[in-house]
Amino acid sequence: MDEEYDAIVLGTGLKECILSGMLSVSGKKVLHIDRNSYYGGDTASITPLEELFAKFKQENPGEKYGRTRDWNVDLIPKFLMANGLLVKLLIHTGVTRYLEFKSVEGSYVYKQGKIAKVPVDQKEALASDLMGMFEKRRFRNFLIYVQDFREEDPKTWKDFDPSTQNMKALYEKFGLDPNTQDFTGHALALHRDDDYLAEPAVLTIRRIKLYSDSLARYGKSPYLYPMYGLGELPQGFARLSAIYGGTYMLDKPIDEIVLENGRVVGVRSGSEVAKCKQVYCDPSYVKDKVRKSGQVVRCICILDHPVANTKDALSTQIIIPQKQVGRRSDIYVSVISYTHQVSAKGWFIAMVSTTVETDNPENEIKPGLDLLGSIAQKFVSVGDYYEPTDNGLESQIFISQSYDATTHFETTCLDVLDIFKRGTGEDFDFSKIKQELGDEEQ
Amino acid sequence: MANNQRGGGIQRPNGATQNKICQFKLVLLGESAVGKSSLVLRFVKGQFHEYQESTIGAAFLTQTVHIEETAVKFEIWDTAGQERYHSLAPMYYRGAQAAIVVYDIQNQDSFVRAQTWVKELQRQASPNIVIALAGNKADLAASRAVDYEEAKQYADENGLLFMETSAKTAVNVNEIFLAIAKKLPKNEGTGPQQNIRPSGNETNRTSGNCCSK
Ligand SMILES: Cc1cc2nc3c(=O)[nH]c(=O)nc-3n(C[C@H](O)[C@H](O)[C@H](O)COP(=O)(O)OP(=O)(O)OC[C@H]3O[C@@H](n4cnc5c(N)ncnc54)[C@H](O)[C@@H]3O)c2cc1C
Ligand SMILES: Nc1nc2c(ncn2[C@@H]2O[C@H](COP(=O)(O)OP(=O)(O)OP(=O)(O)O)[C@@H](O)[C@H]2O)c(=O)[nH]1
Ligand SMILES: [Mg+2]
Repeated sequence: MDEEYDAIVLGTGLKECILSGMLSVSGKKVLHIDRNSYYGGDTASITPLEELFAKFKQENPGEKYGRTRDWNVDLIPKFLMANGLLVKLLIHTGVTRYLEFKSVEGSYVYKQGKIAKVPVDQKEALASDLMGMFEKRRFRNFLIYVQDFREEDPKTWKDFDPSTQNMKALYEKFGLDPNTQDFTGHALALHRDDDYLAEPAVLTIRRIKLYSDSLARYGKSPYLYPMYGLGELPQGFARLSAIYGGTYMLDKPIDEIVLENGRVVGVRSGSEVAKCKQVYCDPSYVKDKVRKSGQVVRCICILDHPVANTKDALSTQIIIPQKQVGRRSDIYVSVISYTHQVSAKGWFIAMVSTTVETDNPENEIKPGLDLLGSIAQKFVSVGDYYEPTDNGLESQIFISQSYDATTHFETTCLDVLDIFKRGTGEDFDFSKIKQELGDEEQ
Repeated sequence: MANNQRGGGIQRPNGATQNKICQFKLVLLGESAVGKSSLVLRFVKGQFHEYQESTIGAAFLTQTVHIEETAVKFEIWDTAGQERYHSLAPMYYRGAQAAIVVYDIQNQDSFVRAQTWVKELQRQASPNIVIALAGNKADLAASRAVDYEEAKQYADENGLLFMETSAKTAVNVNEIFLAIAKKLPKNEGTGPQQNIRPSGNETNRTSGNCCSK
């Protein structure tokens, strides 16, 4: 440890691991440390199952849920958009080679107490009970408009200025009713609240396009989920960093970030000091340099059955649009199962999450829990999320934002790219990675 | 992926019509400097470097051996040094169907460390993983510190394949991979799994320990 590094990265959450990989690939000498004995920080998948019980201070379940080491339980639920930024980053860095994914089987949306499948093609759209006959025709015209829409070609805008006119106006142009608007904005464009209605329509058009481009990739839904859980993602990027020379130390307590004249010069663990020019870390390593910006409630549920009305899907996403349940932000339900090697044979894991709006967060997720049928075990947590108080340029300590309910992988990637730019003064150059990563294939 | 048949590779037996390809993930484990990377380099490229640098820049290497009618393709993973401070990610041996745990016959500590790796694999890796123990640097038997019989007995007790190897002289290098290939189940699974590895040009790669006809 007593060496000099260009950068020391603290914490092995997804963001830190992507950063570590990008820095190593760019030729920087990197030391990557975690105080925990495992990779992933908050983005780890917990295994074996008794660890999860211990974490939530519940009694060891024994073998009630099958072999406990068959379980890999995420603390933060997310899916990847098949055509999203994270997938692009995985492909460009070659990390996709270490991972395998399954396509999520279906995407559902909550409407008046019931769930309905988000249609993936015209046939499903025609059969869907999300809309009445005439509404279906209007919705179809709207989708065709979005499909043909090209930002650089005003002819495709059809007398509508998408950068000055708002989304509400576009809905009105097609005469879509409030229910259709709700499902389009929340289940297709994946907006969390209704602020988008007043924002330029182009922003929402882009998101619907991302949804359909992602859907076009693997068919069943626009979402992917990695085998063995989301915790594989940081590990994949950590391996990238190691392959490019990064040094890894887990289970290493950090006692001090050493500053000289307001600038970082090293990191101390016990009596050892590793020198460095920069530090990249998550908020938990620098409590005095971050502020709390909100709260998210999440409930992990163990089920012995699939969710009703999802055609026994082994994986699904259910979105409960805020208006349907009188809230300001949506409730998300994600379901994964043994087919992803995250649970023992026959078991399902459902996660219900939302942004906290009241002082009874557990009650806020009730509409989600009510969809699940009998729940064998529940683990509820309310987490704070943090953001850095400065941009790090002066101290050369670059801090990532927490994974809040409102952070999907898109913002994860944007945060990472932004930190990289602040830290190195340049955009990440994807061409620095050998395209055929290791000419191992020859 | 190219089907490479390089220097160190084992040639297909004469006249055999290859009609099955099985792909397996094989991981290397062992203390630093015992010769993990050297063994792979010998096996895949038929080369040896006296001053082998710690491995940088390769995700994994592939090499194919032929057992009767079956082509066994190894996807060989090196640790990239992550084991040095006991920081190897579990993802590394995730889904591995085979492992070679390497020690240096001149170094008793590396043999003890090898035994902890075996335990770790038995605890964490897939239950029917094929594990081979390699006592490497057999060419330096003059300064031997680990007894052949002792290692052999340990391997037998734990159901491991065992050979003393030399990446330098190539002794037992192909042999150990071949022994693993023979022991691997080649009819397992019901065709390719429906897993996805996103790639830029989206020729949806499915994978698994598939045996395709
Ligand atoms: C269990 C679960 C819980 C979830 N919880 C939340 C939550 O609490 N809050 C939340 O917001 N979402 C939540 N989501 C949905 C989430 O936002 C994403 O839709 C999903 O996780 C996949 O996104 P991604 O980050 O992998 O894809 P990415 O491609 O990385 O990003 C997708 C998101 O970024 C937007 N986006 C991407 N590119 C563009 C672009 N060019 N222009 C404009 N927008 C773009 C998309 O519309 C979408 O919202 C949840 C999803 C699940 C399954
Ligand atoms: N004489 C002899 N030297 C060997 C043999 N195998 C490897 N070496 C030498 O041992 C040293 C270490 O070999 P590596 O292959 O780099 O070992 P490693 O286990 O990959 O090491 P790390 O990547 O640091 O974990 C090199 O100098 C090799 O030349 C062998 O069979 N005989
Ligand atoms: Mg090596």
